[in-house]
Amino acid sequence: MNIITCYKLVPEEQDLIVNDDYSVSWDKAEWKIGTYDLNGVEAGVQLIESVGGKLTALSIGDNILENDKLKKAILSRGPEELVTVVDNELKDLDGHNTAKLLAAAVKKIGLFDLILCGEGSSDIYSQQVGLQLGELLDVITINAVSKITPQGDKIIVERSLDNVVEVLEITPPAVLSVTTDINVPRIPTLKEILAAGKKPVTKFSLSDIDEENVPVVEYIKTAAPEQADRKNIILEGATEENINKLYDYIRQELA
Amino acid sequence: MSLLEKVLIVAENSDVVGELCTAGRACGDKVELVLIDNEAGVQEAIALGADKIYCLNTSDQDRMVEDFLPTIANLLKQEKPNAIILSASTRGKLLAARLAAKLATTVLNDSLSLEVVEGNLISKKRIYGGAALRDEKATGEVSVVTVSAGTFNALDSDNQRKGESVSVDFIEPSYRAKRLEVKTKVGEQVNLTVAKQVVCIGRGLAAQEDISMINELAALMEAEVGCTRPIAEGEQWMTKDRYVGVSGVMLKPDLYLGAGISGQIQHMVGVDQAKVIVAINKDSRAQIFQYADYGIVDDIYTVVPALIKKFKE
Ligand SMILES: Cc1cc2nc3c(=O)[nH]c(=O)nc-3n(C[C@H](O)[C@H](O)[C@H](O)COP(=O)(O)OP(=O)(O)OC[C@H]3O[C@@H](n4cnc5c(N)ncnc54)[C@H](O)[C@@H]3O)c2cc1C
Ligand SMILES: Nc1ncnc2c1ncn2[C@@H]1O[C@H](COP(=O)(O)O)[C@@H](O)[C@H]1O
Repeated sequence: MNIITCYKLVPEEQDLIVNDDYSVSWDKAEWKIGTYDLNGVEAGVQLIESVGGKLTALSIGDNILENDKLKKAILSRGPEELVTVVDNELKDLDGHNTAKLLAAAVKKIGLFDLILCGEGSSDIYSQQVGLQLGELLDVITINAVSKITPQGDKIIVERSLDNVVEVLEITPPAVLSVTTDINVPRIPTLKEILAAGKKPVTKFSLSDIDEENVPVVEYIKTAAPEQADRKNIILEGATEENINKLYDYIRQELA
Repeated sequence: MSLLEKVLIVAENSDVVGELCTAGRACGDKVELVLIDNEAGVQEAIALGADKIYCLNTSDQDRMVEDFLPTIANLLKQEKPNAIILSASTRGKLLAARLAAKLATTVLNDSLSLEVVEGNLISKKRIYGGAALRDEKATGEVSVVTVSAGTFNALDSDNQRKGESVSVDFIEPSYRAKRLEVKTKVGEQVNLTVAKQVVCIGRGLAAQEDISMINELAALMEAEVGCTRPIAEGEQWMTKDRYVGVSGVMLKPDLYLGAGISGQIQHMVGVDQAKVIVAINKDSRAQIFQYADYGIVDDIYTVVPALIKKFKE
């Protein structure tokens, strides 16, 4: 099976700076692979382990994608090859443009049976890139996929909705966006991290894939919400006195 | 405030018709509804705010909501609305994204409010796990929006309202998934959004059986029990309808008590509207204390049993 797994590099959530005027910035942030994209990678690795084939990782973004540690981070998790589309203009991409550029890159990579995406990117969590990608490639597209079982030339997919699970039979090619409980992503070993440095990386520019970024969304304003005023009465240690106080505080709210 | 000329709302079932009509009326002069359900809901939908209803034929049991995509896409071509609004559910988001791909636009997902400024639809969304709010607008001719459940409340039905309905022919998709089976998820369902008191646990809880201690405290406080996302998804100790936060349930209780929870923004956004926040964490630097009205720095395995004892006195 030929599988492509799409991931996005995101800033570490804890590193967001909120300024006094409620504006926010990631200026001091570390970058990492989107938390939920790792489930897509792991799903791909498990499929290859069970039926054989090739897993390719694919990402689009700015220069941060060139970071050696981050390239190793993705390749050490199992993909055989990494394909990137890098341009400094490719920052804060909107969902449609991301999908459009991914579709162009996929056509460069060639034939595929499955493309796996995460449930949502950790920062924007817009939950649409994988779905738009599937539509643009004109193949079966399913979200909230919680189980993937190959069965001959078909694939049985479980899709987790609010109170039911749909069992679907599909014929590849398809683009699947997986849930976070489809698997527990493995932690790469030191050996895998070292081996990752030797795996092939193909870097495309925008002109290589013959597409451009034409923003279709305008971001008018981004600001941290005002925080509610809280009393911040913090007791140190579960002494009898403190437990009594805490109990009284709770009791009084229950009255 | 000006309104858009025509808004098309797409309801995957009749339960969401009310809130989608309200969302539609918030930004559109004419609100037309695509109803993917049987025709029984037509009068009710008109009373709730729809001016015209396109009924899609769901009598064929094999048809999934997703299979109506070509039918809806064709309707868009004919009707040319200024905006399309769907629910921010799993099905709603799939339909929205696929329609947006056809229209070469980006979905404004999980909208918290809709406003028309100078003829443009502006939607507010939480980003960065809820640490920030972003106002965004689509620059193309049609905006595609999904609205989170509970953001817009259904209006009182007005039986005097007039409207029309037409049925729309099904257009067969060129490919589709075959539905083999629908399994009902086991376990009871809860709705934490209406709970007055909620006790939440996080990864500070060491073992699943320790939930019994939490249940005991919650019962004494007449509280529902909730959790953080890793407890529901990683550990799977609780069902997903119990995890609180930006991607889970948004609470509005009088009292929230968080035990063994670090207080990261993605969780706290769901707690923000609580009248009073109480926190128990053994780490005095835990972020949750910054959001708390009352907190105690110690082990939950000491504090919770001590509180239970006090309640029983
Ligand atoms: C896109 C995205 C969306 C997300 N959405 C959500 C969401 O909706 N809801 C959500 O909850 N999370 C969400 N998360 C995850 C979130 O970022 C945090 O990882 C999660 O909330 C942390 O859960 P926790 O507090 O249980 O665990 P931890 O962060 O591991 O915290 C455990 C805490 O317990 C304390 N502790 C440990 N032992 C004890 C003890 N014996 N007594 C007292 N205290 C103890 C520790 O000091 C620590 O502070 C999301 C993440 C992403 C990337
Ligand atoms: N820049 C990107 N490069 C590659 N894959 C991406 C990118 N952005 C999003 N994705 C994929 O699309 C999924 C959904 O992203 P989003 O629509 O931003 O929530 C992610 O989980 C990734 O698998």
